[in-house]
Amino acid sequence: MKDKLNYSYYPGCSLHASAGEYDLSTRELFKRLSIGLTEVPDWFCCGATPAHNVDELLSLSLCAKNLELAEQVEGDLAVACAACFSRLKTTQHVLAESDVKRKQVEKAIDAPLKLDGKVKHLLEILARDLGLERLAASVTKPLAGLKVACYYGCLLTRPNDVPNLDCVEAPTIMEDVLKAVGAETVAWSHRMECCGANFTLSRPGVVIQLTNAILESAKEAGADCVMVACPLCHGNLDIRQKEIEGVYNVNYGLPVFYITQLVGLACGLSSDKLGLGALIVNPMPLLKEKQLL
Amino acid sequence: MSRIGVFVCHCGENISRTVDVERVAAQVGKMPGVAFATDYKYMCSDPGQTLLKKTIQEQKLSHVVVAACSPRMHEKTFRKAVEAAGLNPYLCEMANIREHCSWVHEDKQEATAKAIEIVGMLVERVKKNRVLPTITVPVTKRSLVIGGGIAGIQAALDIADAGHEVVLVERDPSIGGHMAQLSETFPTLDCSQCIMTPKMVDVANHPNITLYSYSEIEQVDGYIGNFQVTIRRKARSVDEDKCTGCGVCMEKCPVKKIPNKFDCNLGMRPAIYVPFPQAVPNTPVIDRDNCIKFKTGKCGLCQKVCGPGAVDYEQEDTLIVEPVGAIVVATGFDLYTIDEKPKGSMIKGYGEFGHGKIPDVIDGMTFERLASASGPTGGKILRPSDGKEPKQIVFIQCIGSRAREKGISYCSKVCCMYTAKHTMLYHHKVHDGQAYVFFMDARTPGKAYDEFWRRSIEEEEAVYIRGMVSRLYQKGNKIVVMGSDIAVGVQVEIEADMVVLATAIQPRTGADSLAQKLGISYDKYNFYSEAHAKLRPVECATAGIYLAGACQGPKDIPDTVSQASAAAAKVMTLFAKDKLEREPIVARVKEAGCVGCFACKKVCAYGAVEEKEIRDRQGNLIKVVAYVNPGVCGGCGTCQATCPSKSVELDGYTDEQIVAMIEAL
Repeated sequence: MKDKLNYSYYPGCSLHASAGEYDLSTRELFKRLSIGLTEVPDWFCCGATPAHNVDELLSLSLCAKNLELAEQVEGDLAVACAACFSRLKTTQHVLAESDVKRKQVEKAIDAPLKLDGKVKHLLEILARDLGLERLAASVTKPLAGLKVACYYGCLLTRPNDVPNLDCVEAPTIMEDVLKAVGAETVAWSHRMECCGANFTLSRPGVVIQLTNAILESAKEAGADCVMVACPLCHGNLDIRQKEIEGVYNVNYGLPVFYITQLVGLACGLSSDKLGLGALIVNPMPLLKEKQLL
Repeated sequence: MSRIGVFVCHCGENISRTVDVERVAAQVGKMPGVAFATDYKYMCSDPGQTLLKKTIQEQKLSHVVVAACSPRMHEKTFRKAVEAAGLNPYLCEMANIREHCSWVHEDKQEATAKAIEIVGMLVERVKKNRVLPTITVPVTKRSLVIGGGIAGIQAALDIADAGHEVVLVERDPSIGGHMAQLSETFPTLDCSQCIMTPKMVDVANHPNITLYSYSEIEQVDGYIGNFQVTIRRKARSVDEDKCTGCGVCMEKCPVKKIPNKFDCNLGMRPAIYVPFPQAVPNTPVIDRDNCIKFKTGKCGLCQKVCGPGAVDYEQEDTLIVEPVGAIVVATGFDLYTIDEKPKGSMIKGYGEFGHGKIPDVIDGMTFERLASASGPTGGKILRPSDGKEPKQIVFIQCIGSRAREKGISYCSKVCCMYTAKHTMLYHHKVHDGQAYVFFMDARTPGKAYDEFWRRSIEEEEAVYIRGMVSRLYQKGNKIVVMGSDIAVGVQVEIEADMVVLATAIQPRTGADSLAQKLGISYDKYNFYSEAHAKLRPVECATAGIYLAGACQGPKDIPDTVSQASAAAAKVMTLFAKDKLEREPIVARVKEAGCVGCFACKKVCAYGAVEEKEIRDRQGNLIKVVAYVNPGVCGGCGTCQATCPSKSVELDGYTDEQIVAMIEAL
């Protein structure tokens, strides 16, 4: 076993903006678990979901340049956002498969690519590289009694033809991690449904409808809260929750946590180090009730 | 010195149109070793063959080259003629100047020059042909049939009816296979049991059939005509000879609640059981994992109540060896594992459909048992969860089939038809119910098949929705089916009471290990490979082994029965002779050069290479060399290409001959 895990780190745009608490909790959790994270110097937007709908070369080149920058830093590339993860991984796969595209992209970014490192989502690092046993051993405050609905969204396990971090349609990796830190996970129907993602700005009506179905089924399944691993999912489920409750005249009151926040909590990190105060649906009453604060 | 005769055929005008056949004969006639050369309009005709025979005798020819069509067409014809004239048939070769020359060229001058070269090559090759004796091997006129489903039953009955002994081996306690589980069969809706069970009884009563149920193939040795098969008879714990099948043991057994695999775990059975009432043989078996006697040493009730004293707790597995001349493999299929990804499999499973978690999501075979008059509900369609009649039922086709992203790209062939049948059975039994079917395509090639499918829509009111389902989930006591209707381009949600998944057909678990015992090849899914997809669809590449039914690929009952009868016919053809004659184009090992590396053995697709000990006069072992069993060799030449010391050669295609042909160019 390697003594210390070290990764280059690609936070992605959201984590430097609306999802600051995801970035904060990631850094704090990894520090607590003695996992090295070195932010990729001078990283920029991966193009996310819009770029590849506009221009393939552009979208590949945006990700490729970031991959090339990450190659200058030691360790595999750790990614927090599901969309960044999907795009970076897809780019790496496409370029490794096609010499023609690789040459085009290398010309566009004016740099050679090694493509030898791996792109890993934080979940993979916790569940596989660190391992569930070692993760469980780091727990000081098990999340006993907390019923969590693990929400994967669309991009974490997709696209299908790129080597995946888990089964495309029926993954378990989130549940595995949460069980390792002592939480209870609920079986529910909408864990893989789309939340509407970036339609949140252009077509909020669609997002409200989709997100309501997700919150409704999480509530029905008996969850106390929802856990996500993507800043866009979080935005829709957390920030829009009040609005949805108004539209449908319901009361969900489901706090929406990032994976790193819940795992961090179990590893004994304090509320301010996890940025819990930044969540819109206030999680404090729930956490106090479960005696987790 | 060779006295070679060359006969150049015009093939009507097929050859002579583009090849100057007279010039070919004249030029070849001047080649060293050629004693005679002529041309003739139709060499294969009766006068052509007479010319050949007459010339052999008159000219005292030592070898013959017929320059005509492909050897695939007429090699046998001319070798027979040569043999009739008193020469060894393997001293005759064909030069292909039709397919390889006249048919593919236009310029007569160039084509003629090429034809001369082709014939010249064959002249050089035939000079080095050896006299080869026809190989004969004895035939044991008994057949082994592996698998007691409809395929194995049909093959066994056909061979037995032809007067040959058959050993039928079945892994389960009863024969019958999947067909015995079915309710009614497409496209005529006749009851499966009614047409199946009489055949099962015929097997049991046939004087030429020895049935080993609850038995498995342990080892297969030998070759075509001469196999030695070791069969493991698993301990049944009941003496088949003493048991009368009265069933008292099953009534008295205190363990009652073991899910019955035959009923797809919907019904219950005792620890001593027959899988279904019409089982053949009607002899119970003790499920030792669930029997109190075997678990704790107490109980023993079945032995006490058994009048004939047939129950035997001490019984052990026994091994028996059966000599047979031919083997029919009819091991059938399993259904796709729908739940989670099976370990170590390329198949990914359908966790998103909740099979195994949502009780009213069932597979097609479970629906068969619900619809069967002899099933656990007596033929009523009832939900496993609460026993209520489902009023909205959704059938989903292509679960696992044609789903490359899930690991299987092939079509399972029977699901379109059986789903159509399911909608009808449902409509017949639940008059106020509504059936929906999600499908990709409806594939109905078969006699009266499309009419049957149309009937399910037009008369039986099934609603077909073209599109696939992404997810199922339980909502209250309903199952929400989320799918798409691609014809209309909308998302569809149906709240169903029951969902039936038409799961893919896969080869039996363990099909690969059986194939390795038999020495037959299989594809990446473990379906057994036929020798030729079109022209030899029931034979394996390994001589003397034949295929029947779904072990070779997904098949419905009519196709399975046809293939089983075809396999039986192949066995009868083999048994029609006392000795097998076969072409002596086989590999021979030059023992002096062989170093015993057995690279040839590793590459041999036929399992023909054996190890042979060479000993001196005192009996001391000098070395072990390769020996090619001429009865098994397929004459492919792979060993010759592989041998590092050039010590194995295929007769008629030796290195010396190939080099001579190249030098003639």
